[in-house]
Amino acid sequence: MCELQNGGIISSVRTRVPATDTSLDAELLRGYELAPGAYDEVFSAPGVLRPAWKLFLKGAEKLTRTEYMHRWEQAQRLLRQNSLTYSDLSDSVARRRPWELDGLPLVISAEEWRTVSASLQQRATLLDLVLRDVFGPQRLVRDGVLPPEALFRHPGYRLPFCRPPESQNSRMLQFYAADLTRAPDGRWWVQADRCESASGAGFALENRIALSRMLSDVFRQCRVERLAPYFIAVKELLAKLAPHNDGDPRIVILSQAAGSTNYFEDAFLARYLGYTLAEAGDLAVRRNRLYLKTLAGLSLVNVLLRRPNSEHLDPLEIADSGSAGTAGLLQAVRSGNVTIANTPGSGLVESPIFRAFLPRLAEKILGEPLSMPGVATWWCGEPQACSYVLERLDELIILPAYRRRGEPVSQISRLADMSRKALAALIQTSPGNFVAQEKIVRSGAPAWSGTQLQPCYVALRTFAAAHGDGYTVMPGGLARISTSTAPLELSLLDGERSKDAWVLAEGPVEHVSLLTASEGDLPLRRGGVDLSSRAAEHFFWLGRQSVRAEALAKLIRSAARRLTSEEQVDRIPELPHLLRMLAEQGQIEPGYVVEEIRKQLPSIEKQLPTAAFDEGPPNALRATVTSLVSLASTVRDLMSLDSWRIIRQMNDDFRPAAGRHGFLDLLDKIDALLVQLAAYAGEISESMTRTYAWRFLDLGRRLERALQEAQLLRGMLSTDSGSEPESLETMLEMLDSVMTYRSRYGSRFQLGAVLDLMLCDETNPRSVAYQLVECVAHVDHLNVGVQGDHKPADQGLAGSLLQTVRETDVVRISRQFEAGDSDALNDLLNTIGNMLPDLSDVISHRYFFHSAPIQRLADIESKPGARK
Amino acid sequence: MKYQISHKTWYEYSELAPVCHNLVHLAPRETASQKCNAYRLLIDPKPAFFTGREDYFGNHTEYFSIESGHRKLEIIAESTVDVSNLDDSMVSDVPWQDCVVHSGDQVNGHPVGAAIDPTHAQLAFPSPRIPPLVELREYASKSFLPNRSIVQALVDLNVRIHHEFKFDPRATTVDTPLWEVLNLRRGVCQDFAHLATGCLRSMGLAARYVSGYLRTTPPPGKPRLVGADASHAWCSAWCGPLGWVDFDPTNNCLAGDSYVTIAWGRDYGDVCPIQGVFVGGGDHRITVSVDVAPLG
Repeated sequence: MCELQNGGIISSVRTRVPATDTSLDAELLRGYELAPGAYDEVFSAPGVLRPAWKLFLKGAEKLTRTEYMHRWEQAQRLLRQNSLTYSDLSDSVARRRPWELDGLPLVISAEEWRTVSASLQQRATLLDLVLRDVFGPQRLVRDGVLPPEALFRHPGYRLPFCRPPESQNSRMLQFYAADLTRAPDGRWWVQADRCESASGAGFALENRIALSRMLSDVFRQCRVERLAPYFIAVKELLAKLAPHNDGDPRIVILSQAAGSTNYFEDAFLARYLGYTLAEAGDLAVRRNRLYLKTLAGLSLVNVLLRRPNSEHLDPLEIADSGSAGTAGLLQAVRSGNVTIANTPGSGLVESPIFRAFLPRLAEKILGEPLSMPGVATWWCGEPQACSYVLERLDELIILPAYRRRGEPVSQISRLADMSRKALAALIQTSPGNFVAQEKIVRSGAPAWSGTQLQPCYVALRTFAAAHGDGYTVMPGGLARISTSTAPLELSLLDGERSKDAWVLAEGPVEHVSLLTASEGDLPLRRGGVDLSSRAAEHFFWLGRQSVRAEALAKLIRSAARRLTSEEQVDRIPELPHLLRMLAEQGQIEPGYVVEEIRKQLPSIEKQLPTAAFDEGPPNALRATVTSLVSLASTVRDLMSLDSWRIIRQMNDDFRPAAGRHGFLDLLDKIDALLVQLAAYAGEISESMTRTYAWRFLDLGRRLERALQEAQLLRGMLSTDSGSEPESLETMLEMLDSVMTYRSRYGSRFQLGAVLDLMLCDETNPRSVAYQLVECVAHVDHLNVGVQGDHKPADQGLAGSLLQTVRETDVVRISRQFEAGDSDALNDLLNTIGNMLPDLSDVISHRYFFHSAPIQRLADIESKPGARK
Repeated sequence: MKYQISHKTWYEYSELAPVCHNLVHLAPRETASQKCNAYRLLIDPKPAFFTGREDYFGNHTEYFSIESGHRKLEIIAESTVDVSNLDDSMVSDVPWQDCVVHSGDQVNGHPVGAAIDPTHAQLAFPSPRIPPLVELREYASKSFLPNRSIVQALVDLNVRIHHEFKFDPRATTVDTPLWEVLNLRRGVCQDFAHLATGCLRSMGLAARYVSGYLRTTPPPGKPRLVGADASHAWCSAWCGPLGWVDFDPTNNCLAGDSYVTIAWGRDYGDVCPIQGVFVGGGDHRITVSVDVAPLG
C-alpha cells in the first residue's frame, strides 16, 4: 500500500514579489504573485530567486518589459503564420493547436534534471518489462503480483496483441512520456504515464523553436540543453527498428485522420524528421508486407511510428472497433515484416489501475523502489484500499481504473462533480472499476498574460525514447500551465497554455544538426512519384477550390461594383445576368433575379455580403475559402512555408470586420482575397517543383478554370442581351482580358471577337482553349509509358475536349446567335460544361485510390447453428 | 468415432472485390478426447499469401489474402478426426463452489498475492461478447444452489436453457447482444453457448465457448441433432478435479463423441470460423455446407 508521501504545507498567504531582487533588477517579474500553497518555481522565498532563475534573469537583464512584450507579439505572429501546428479554423475545435505558447520558459537546473532523467529511464524500463510480461508469459498474474482484473477486465487487453514466444524478449515501449507534477515539498512526481503514443514531442520542439528565437540572446547566455540530440536519437531508433535493414528504411508516421488534435504535430514531426505522413487509408498490406499507396504504385514500408490507439490498427483482427486501420497489419507485424512503434498493446499500462501497482512491480521486477514516486494511487478492487479510499473521499480524486487515451474526460468530470454519498455508492457497486489518486497542488510559475504576469500551475510532460538497452530522455519538455489547480486531465484542451522547458547545461552546449552529410554519393531522385495518392487527390481539389474561390470572388465583385455605382440599377443591362449567375451559383436566393420578387426580399446590398461571409452553405465564398484552407492543411507537410503563410492569411483575413457587413467592406475584403489568391498562384508557378504534387494541383486549377469560364459564358449569353457591348465587357472584365481585347479591337465589342479571345485563343492564358491545352499536357505526362491499344480514358476525354474547341467556328456561331439562333452556341457550351466534370471523375477514378469502406464477411447464414 | 468432415463456404460478390484478408479457425484442434488425423484447406482463387499459427488458446488459425480481383471466394476445409467418448463414470460429488476460479462480478477482486493460472483465470472474466450482466447471475443462481455438485448444477442449467429458450434462427443475428437474447428468450446455438458461458462466469467459474461440428446423420435410432448441417457451438466448464466438461444447451446434452471440436476461446469473437474484410465487392452472399460423416 502506498503511503501518503506528500506533506506540503498549504498556506493561503499571497506574497507579492518586491520590485527589486537583492542582486538584480527583476523588472520582468514585477507584480508576480506567488501561487498560494504551492512550490514556487522561481522564488525559494519572497524576493529570493532560485539559482536557475537567477541565471535566466541575468540573461534577460537588458530586456525591458516593453521590449519583452514586443518580442512576444512578434513570436506569436510568427507562430501563427509559420506554424504547422497552429490552426484556428473555425469549423472544428479539434483542429486547434491545443496549447498556446507562453512567453516565459520553465527553467530547470542541470542537477535537478539529472534526477528526473534517471527516474524516467527507470520508469520506462519498468513499464516496458510489464508490457512484455502481460503480452507474453503473464508471470505477473500467475505469481499474484498483478491482479487478473488488471488485464482481463481491461478493454485494452486484446488477444491479437499477445506475442509469440520468439518475440517476447523484444521491447514493446519504444517511446514513453510522463506527466510530472512538482509537489509543495519540491519533489517531482509522476501524475500520469503515456505509453500508447507518447505524443507532444512535436509541440515541445515547436515551442522551443519559437521561444529560442524570441529570446535568442538569453537562450545562448543561459546555456540551455538542445533538443536536437534527442531527435537524432529518435531517428536512429526508428532506423534500427527496420526489419531486413538495407540501410535505407522507409519510415512512415501513421497519423490519426486530419482533424484530430495531433494531426498538426504529426505533420510538423514528419517534416522535421524527414518521414512520410500517412493515414490508415494510405497504407495497404499485400503479401504480408506493409505498403504505402503512391502514384507510382505500392512502396514498401519498414517502420511505422504510430499515433492511433492500438485497437484501431487492424480491422481484421480487432473486429469490434469499426473499420479503422489497415487489414492484415498485425499479421505483418507478427511475421516480422514491419515494426510498429509503439508496439501494439503498449497503451494498456497507462491506465490508472497500473499506477496503483507500479511501486510493487518495481520491487518485484527491478528489485528496487521507484526513484521518482508516482502520485499515490489506490485501486478500489483491493478491499483494504477500498475502505481506506471510502474514508477519505474528500481528499482524493476518483478516476476510472481502465481509462484509455482518447476517451472523453467527461467521465472524470462527472465523478469529480458527484456528491460524496453518490460517489461512495458508485464505488461500492463495482469497486474494481475505480482508482483513487491523491490530490496534489502543482507548483506555481509566472505566466505572461500579454500585459502582466499571472501565477499558474505547472505540469511537465517529459519524453523518453528507447536507446541501446535503456532510454534517452529529452532534456526539456512540454510544460502545460493552467490557472486552476485541478489535475490537467480535466482540462487538457480547455484554455490551457504551454511553456517551453529549459534544462540548463552543466558545460558548453554542443551544436548538433539533424541534417546529416551522408557518406558516398546520394542517388539522385526526381519527380516525386512516391506522393501518396491521397495527397495527390488533395492537391487536385486544392487546385480546383483555389480557382473556384477566385471566380466566385470576381463574380461577386463585378456585381457589387455595379450595385454601388452611380448608375441607376435598372439601367445597367448586364446586371440581371450577373444576378442570375450569382443565383445559379447559390450565392443569393433565386428570387433576386425576378424583379417582382426582388422587391419583397431584403435589399441585395445587405444580402450579398452576408451570403459571401456565410460559412454554412458549401457554395458560399467563405465556405470555399474554408475548404481550400482545410485541403491545404492536409498537405502542408508538402507545401512551402510561404504558400502556407499566404493561405493562413487568407483564412484570417476573409472574415467580416465586427459588425460590418456593408458592401464597401465586402469589396475591400474581396480585393484583398484576390491579391492573396494571385500571390498563391504566383507561388505555385514560380516556386513549386514540377513534381506530381504540382501536376495535380495545376491540373485541378486548369480544369476548374475551364469549367468556370464555360459557366460564365453560358450565364452571360443565356439571353439575347448577352451580346450587348456592356455584357461583353463584363465577361472580359471577369476574365482579366479587357486590356488584351482593347489592344486588338479598340472599343468595338463584338461577340465573335470576344468568343475568339475567351474560347479559342490558345495564346490567351485565360481562354478555355489554353486551359485544355494544359490539361492535355498534364494527362499526357501522367500516361507516359502506358501501353495498350486504347488510349486511357483521361487522355481520350481531354483530347476530344480540346478537339471540340479547336474545331469551333466562332464567327459562324456568333452570327447565328446574333440572328436569334442560339442553339449552336448553347450546344457547344453545354458540351464543354458536361465533359469537364466527366474528365474530373475519370481522373479521380484513375489516379486516386479510393479507400472504399471495407466490408466484413459476415452474414446471418454464417452464424453457428443458424440453420436448422 | 472417426469422422470425415467437409466444411464448404462460398462467397459471391455483386461487384469485383480487388482484395480480401481472412482469418479462419477451421482446423479441428487436438483435445484430450480428440485427434485430428488429416486437415487441408482449399481456397479458390489462390491466395497471394497464406500462413498458419497457434493462437493464444492453442487453436490452429490461418491467415490468407487474395489480392487479385474476384467475384467469388470458395473456402473448403477437409479433415478426418478421431473422437473418443466421454468417461461416463464422472465423479459427481464435487460442490460447484470448489471449482470457483474467481469471486465474480459483484464481489471484491481476487486477492493480490495468490497464484493463479492466467489462461484459466481469464475464462472466468467477462469478454467482449459476454459482458457482465446482473441478469446472468440472477438466471444462473437458480441452478447453482449452495453445495450442489458441479455436474448437477451444470445439467440443471443446461436443461433450463433448453426449455426456457426457443431455438429460432430468425430472432437473432451474429451480432445480437447477449442482453437481447436474454430478453427475447430466443436464439440459436451461438446465443445459447454465450448464455451458458456467461452464466458460469457470473458464478465465478471458468467457462469457454467452443466452436465445432455435430455428426450430420444421427446414430441408428437417435434423432438428428439441431445444428448438424452448419458449424455448431457449445460451452465448456471448468469442473475442478473433473477437468473441462463440455455441454450443449441447444440440444440439452453433454457433448459426447458426436461432437467435433474446432477451437475454443472466451467467446465467438475469438474463434469465428471465417473472419474476413474486403474492399469493394458490392453486396455479397454466403452459402455454407457442412458434412460430418462417420467413417466405418
